[in-house]
Amino acid sequence: MKLLIIEDESALNASIVAYLQQVGYTCESAEDFRKAWRKIANQDYDCVILDLTLPGGNGLDLIRLLKTNNPEAGIIIISAKNALDDKISGLELGADDYLTKPFHLSELNARLRSVIRRRNITSQKVIQLGSLEVYPESAEALVEGRKMTLTKKEFELLLYFVSNKNRVLTKDSIAEHLWGDHIETLDSLDFVYTHIKNLRRKLIETGAEDPIQTIYGMGYKFNY
Amino acid sequence: MRILTKTSLYYLIVSIVVFLLGGLSFYKILQTEIYDEVDDQLFTDKENIIEYIRRHNELPNVTSGISEAILVKEHSDRIKVIEALTDTLIFSAYDEEYIPFRKLSFIAYQNGKPFQYTILKSLMDFEDLFESTMLAMAWIFLLLLIGLAGVNYFVNKYTWLNFYDTLDKAKRYSLTQREPLYLNPTKTREFQELNDVLQAMTKKIHNDYINLKEFTENASHEIQTPLAIVNSKLELFMQSDNLTQQQASMLEEMHASVNRLSRLNKSLILLTRIENREFSETEELPLHEVLLEQITHLHDIMQMHELAYQVTSLEPTTLSINRGLAEVLLSNILLNAIRHNCPSGTIYVSLTAQELCISNTGKPLDSSPEQMFERFMSGNKAAGSLGIGLAIVSKICSLYKLQPAYNYTDGLHKLCLQLPKKYANSF
Repeated sequence: MKLLIIEDESALNASIVAYLQQVGYTCESAEDFRKAWRKIANQDYDCVILDLTLPGGNGLDLIRLLKTNNPEAGIIIISAKNALDDKISGLELGADDYLTKPFHLSELNARLRSVIRRRNITSQKVIQLGSLEVYPESAEALVEGRKMTLTKKEFELLLYFVSNKNRVLTKDSIAEHLWGDHIETLDSLDFVYTHIKNLRRKLIETGAEDPIQTIYGMGYKFNY
Repeated sequence: MRILTKTSLYYLIVSIVVFLLGGLSFYKILQTEIYDEVDDQLFTDKENIIEYIRRHNELPNVTSGISEAILVKEHSDRIKVIEALTDTLIFSAYDEEYIPFRKLSFIAYQNGKPFQYTILKSLMDFEDLFESTMLAMAWIFLLLLIGLAGVNYFVNKYTWLNFYDTLDKAKRYSLTQREPLYLNPTKTREFQELNDVLQAMTKKIHNDYINLKEFTENASHEIQTPLAIVNSKLELFMQSDNLTQQQASMLEEMHASVNRLSRLNKSLILLTRIENREFSETEELPLHEVLLEQITHLHDIMQMHELAYQVTSLEPTTLSINRGLAEVLLSNILLNAIRHNCPSGTIYVSLTAQELCISNTGKPLDSSPEQMFERFMSGNKAAGSLGIGLAIVSKICSLYKLQPAYNYTDGLHKLCLQLPKKYANSF
């Protein structure tokens, strides 16, 4: 899987590259419009993550170029310009997803997985982790062939964990993934705890070894 | 009242007064003049008669005067008659009415014998004059009215046209449209001045608005990007092995604070953007559908808080509003009802064509209901609450002229939004 990360802020660009490389992607990066243009013109990528406000040009033009040059590539827009029109025109041009800065790297990774899954018809429809099988499209999970009965949120949580396996996920990022912007209302961290407890219980009941490790003081890690 | 109606009314009132006073004084002056004239004639007749008697020593022929009637009779000594000038009415058999006369009585002596003369002069002419004066006045008045209406019409049509044009454009002018206000030039000096002032003012406001908008966007960009960097670095840091527990919990606390800061920043940016009226794109939104969507969306959260909800009525209602803002509005009100609820409480939702009411069980407010809609006013420091949700609600309400009303009765907080009549309509 080859990705191109187009982000003018080099520190952020480096973070994204580092995280995604740790997860196992091949990453290239571009920090301005011209470089990005050259890379897109010369090579094919599985997914392009791009910021819309770039020195030297508008990210929307890069999307147009991608659509003619490399139409199979998934596109995720990351922008600080929470402007509605940008989001709409970006998605209209054919971007697959839109993330507003700041975002969790684990969230970006989960969205990336989902975009690649949706884009790539040939790829397997199942994520296999040992005896655990996760079917994102039908929202089903099996352990050793036995189906788990999960609520919608529990499945989302499992998918989030699976997408970010072996990574530390903070309770905050989990809460934001599950409930979006509404989490400021909630005693969300308690609910994260409850959901994880239930998921863990169901995984064990169906016969899996407990894959969810509690990292004291920080969050959780799905070990595989 | 339109300015032309107003000035016309003043003109009319002044005209009525002027015409009444004018007519009256005209009448009085004429009356005095005619009396003078008639009296002069009467005295001339008298002088003529006396002169005739003195010269010819005989009584003159009664028809010789210019008077209309001269009566002569012998005067007895017994009645003392002095010269008298009086008004009198005489019945005219021909006109079948009383006719006003001016009467001069005097004594003339012929050969020492007194004769009483009475000279009568008709005032009929004067009556006629009075009538025609009034008639003329009435005609002039009528013509003036017609003239006034005509002048108003043309002034309205041509001179004020520019003013109404300016007014209309100023009314429809919105800062969110990107070009400045353009007003047609006019030859009327006052209106041109008005146009110049308006144009200069809107230009300045427009520039300020653009600056503010740019600042908001820049602030958003400039703050969000460093936040994103800090956030991502913290997340990468967390992935490293061999962190001590103390370091781990410090990292987590930093991460949580940065998250809180980014959410706060996002909310403030949203608030500023609503204030800047940047969400000008509206549609006829089926409010009942969006409400149900939001309830479904929050169902999970309500369940986690062990709250029940009850939709007491849900009439199909449309509202002309920006979709994104409507979602923010409804979810903020619902979240507020969740946040300030009591354990195992209930949320009641009711939507009619007139109003949207969301009530929730809960303890009474600590502060006044007015403060509720201000920024950073969290009633009880509920978990992670920024105290900005209702400020956003209030901003959206004022943008779309929805009237929020709050009351608390029998342990129930009730927040109602009065939907504007012209927008609300049932299918």
